[in-house]
Amino acid sequence: MRRIGKLTLDRRTLLRGMLGGAAVGVALPALDIMLNDNGTALAVGDAIPTRFGVWFWGNGVRREHWVPDGTGAGWTPRAELQPLVDLGLRPWLNVLTGFEIKTATHPHHSGMAGIMTGAHYQQVGTTRDTIVSTFAYPSVDQVAAQYFMETSPTSYRSLEVAVARFRGTDEGTTFQHLSHNGPNNPNPSEYSASAVFSRLFGMGPTSPQIALARRSVLDAVTDQVTKLQTKLGARDKERLDQHLSSIRNIELRLAAPGSACTTPTDPGDHPDVDGREQIVETNQAMSDLMAVALACNLTRAFSVMFSTAGSGVVIWQAGASNSLHQINHDEAPPAPTVHACVVFEMEQLAYFLNALRLTEGDGVLLDHCALLCTTELSEGWSHSNDEFPIILAGKAGGKLRGDYHYRSTTNENASKALLTVLRAAGLPLESGFGYEAGYVTEGVTAVEV
Amino acid sequence: MSRLRAALLAVVALAPSCDGVIGDQPVPGAALPDIPGQLPVFQAAAPTLHRLTLVEYRNTLTDLLPDRVMIPTDLEVDTPLYGFTTIGASELTITPRAAEQYEAAAMGVADQVFGDDALRTDFVGCTPGSTSDPCIRAFLTRFGKRAWRRPLEPAEIDQLAALATTIGDSFRDPWQGVKFATASLLQSPYFLFRVEIGEPDPRSAGKRRFTTWEMASRLSYLLLRSTPDDALLAAAERGDLVTKEGIERETTRLLATERARSAVGRFFVEYLALERLDGLTKNTTAFPEAMSPTLGASMRGELENMFDDVVFTRDGDFREILTTQTTFMNTELARLYGVSVPSATETTFARVTLPAGGPRGGLLTSAGILALYAHNTLTSPTLRGKFIRVNLLCQDIPPPPPGVRTDIESTLPADGPFTMRERLEAHRTNPTCASCHVMMDPLGLGLEHFDAIGRYRETDNGLEIDASGDVDGTPFADARELGEVLGQSPEVGACIARRLYRYGNGHVEAEAEERAVVGLADSFEAAGFSLKSLLMAFVVSDGFRLTGEVE
Repeated sequence: MRRIGKLTLDRRTLLRGMLGGAAVGVALPALDIMLNDNGTALAVGDAIPTRFGVWFWGNGVRREHWVPDGTGAGWTPRAELQPLVDLGLRPWLNVLTGFEIKTATHPHHSGMAGIMTGAHYQQVGTTRDTIVSTFAYPSVDQVAAQYFMETSPTSYRSLEVAVARFRGTDEGTTFQHLSHNGPNNPNPSEYSASAVFSRLFGMGPTSPQIALARRSVLDAVTDQVTKLQTKLGARDKERLDQHLSSIRNIELRLAAPGSACTTPTDPGDHPDVDGREQIVETNQAMSDLMAVALACNLTRAFSVMFSTAGSGVVIWQAGASNSLHQINHDEAPPAPTVHACVVFEMEQLAYFLNALRLTEGDGVLLDHCALLCTTELSEGWSHSNDEFPIILAGKAGGKLRGDYHYRSTTNENASKALLTVLRAAGLPLESGFGYEAGYVTEGVTAVEV
Repeated sequence: MSRLRAALLAVVALAPSCDGVIGDQPVPGAALPDIPGQLPVFQAAAPTLHRLTLVEYRNTLTDLLPDRVMIPTDLEVDTPLYGFTTIGASELTITPRAAEQYEAAAMGVADQVFGDDALRTDFVGCTPGSTSDPCIRAFLTRFGKRAWRRPLEPAEIDQLAALATTIGDSFRDPWQGVKFATASLLQSPYFLFRVEIGEPDPRSAGKRRFTTWEMASRLSYLLLRSTPDDALLAAAERGDLVTKEGIERETTRLLATERARSAVGRFFVEYLALERLDGLTKNTTAFPEAMSPTLGASMRGELENMFDDVVFTRDGDFREILTTQTTFMNTELARLYGVSVPSATETTFARVTLPAGGPRGGLLTSAGILALYAHNTLTSPTLRGKFIRVNLLCQDIPPPPPGVRTDIESTLPADGPFTMRERLEAHRTNPTCASCHVMMDPLGLGLEHFDAIGRYRETDNGLEIDASGDVDGTPFADARELGEVLGQSPEVGACIARRLYRYGNGHVEAEAEERAVVGLADSFEAAGFSLKSLLMAFVVSDGFRLTGEVE
């Protein structure tokens, strides 16, 4: 197990938040000192919260190296899942194979929208000189975020970070962003670890007087927005509704300064060295920051976009000299370079998951996570949407089995994985999840506990 | 419906497979034909809020605030749609994270202005003696008009003045009140968005036009990518900007400024996605002497200078950008091109006349375009051809369907080496691939004399290069001739007019706007394809001045 030595509680910040008396959720850290004697629940009586997250990489896998041998608890990883097992993550892995996106019509857009929303993508406009699409519905991280904010709000509704530089196309928000609140309403990922640090931990304390003045300003802005809405069409009203809710969140944070954790070290940024992207270093910095943010309960919902759909990332660490998207198209089977790149990507995922093994209660943070780890297609060279790569990671407070390979022999609907992982995070979803061909009422019961 | 148009629509309906278009004319997705009689009556799009783009937000703060204020950098990067940030800014809302950044930025600049005694006195124009000093109200009225790009209503001024009083009282410092009221102006939806709702057009029953104040913003953000200057606000105040003469007068004035030159260049940068050059990386093993961290930016600099030269210095036929022998190089580019340019330095671009008999001339043979539309080590005739079809001709290329094998290597015989043309043979012979690739690859193969970083080469893999082909039947022998063919194409002109319409309005034209787009293309052609004339025709057109009903 790993611990972050500098993680301590800033009682003064915490007290100010609580004494402020505002009717908002104060971010409570699930740290040892906050737990009751048997270490299973927060001292205040709440259970350790389950966090929901997505870890996404682009361009798929090589299925002959991805699909494990054997099923159930007796599975054996092949080369592309080996990095996860090597770091001892096996107890937290639910590998789902043989699933299919049932809404597939486009090589990259369909899988991206399908696995993030359980629905077909939404085409934007009717012009045909370029393909532009967005998500028709909120992405799963926002479905979870919405539920968490309604039931036990945190300082940040959700956090979105990215690792490899954006090298996709501008074919709409589907390609450019992972997290969406709805159509053409994305939550862009932050690419700079240093900026993530500043946002979450870099602000000094704000004096109550200044915080109050800033809230008054936001009140005035809210008033202006509400008045403006009466003059606008439905679509613009909706755009401003979201802005109002963003303003409310800023006000809440000003009313109850969030973080009760002290600051980790600013990891800085890692610019290219000799034209080579420092992916490993950036991934480590982002992973470590996200681990602290989750441990401190600054948010319960997040997404990590390791690389974009159809990403042109050059994984030189795996011997690639061309963009991953391109070698997927160019390299003949058995595509050794593509395979090496997937192994590298799984090493990065392994680092991230391992970073979540911070002590929490009588276990680790990862025990209280429900994570969807996936990509936008099965294999890049064929743009296939069957045999979709999915890992549900974490124990979700005991709701996910772990150390299990479930293989569907009937090309089951990939939305089942979404339903399972969202339910594991505590969302009731009694009527199922997904839309149209992506709609399911039953999860992957084999990995549900 | 004319037979031509019916045929076109039938072809469009067949996409995305591209089936049935090989060898057919015309190509699918081409701009609708110029048959005004067949087009529906123009109907303006409904109003929409335009969020300031990142560039606009920063320019606007720069123009509104004292010189020495540092403009915040922790701001959200735009999400372009259809290639344009202006469209993304009209479709997307302010994200939760961006709202945080705007709040922090407004507080940050207010802290800078009001943290300095001399600066704040100069900025506000008086020293408020109390939290209810009338000079506060006078400042808010004056600065409010500039920040919101229109006069504030009395109730709006009341709200801001009350805010200043309340906060000033709580700090026992009137300056603090003014500071937070200023920050409030800069977080308002009237600042962060261009609010353009329109008014009934008195000269045309049932139609709506943008108001004189709204036109000031529209012109200013189109031509300067920033907030209206004092003269433009004065013209708006006089009501000039609802008349053709008033709009033309202000547009002429603005187009003559240095700022317009670089701001109009934004259109070009976004049109060709040149910002992607800033992060250009190429394989350093394949291009050890050529690749540098600044090379991409140098390539962009060449193209921006080329645009400025064609549009503003010469003000000739814009399509000359496809053939021009005049270009601009700094030392890094001169090295890449293998020419000696004594007057260039690392950071300054010198004007260069390319040799008449040489392989280069115009946009398509610029290193920037060649490198942008290529892979890390290899050229990509497909990407280059797609660029020509989509960006220059406004035609559509659908993506490959799911489940198609795309590994080109396995289609090759074991004995090499091959030229790129040979490697891509399957794209043109396998019917599934050919239905679309036949539109792209043959044009891109015309640029095969230039490698993935834009350097000239005689051979490919040691083999002779065949760069010949045809543009929908018009033959070309090499890249220069390809540029000549496109440089005389009216479709290229029509495509630029269409893109400008989208960029300037922040949305993709609906069918009911097609007449305005076609009319714009006609004006462009009639004006000898002068881009300045195109801008002038655009700003006085119904497509720019009229708006629809609020939906």
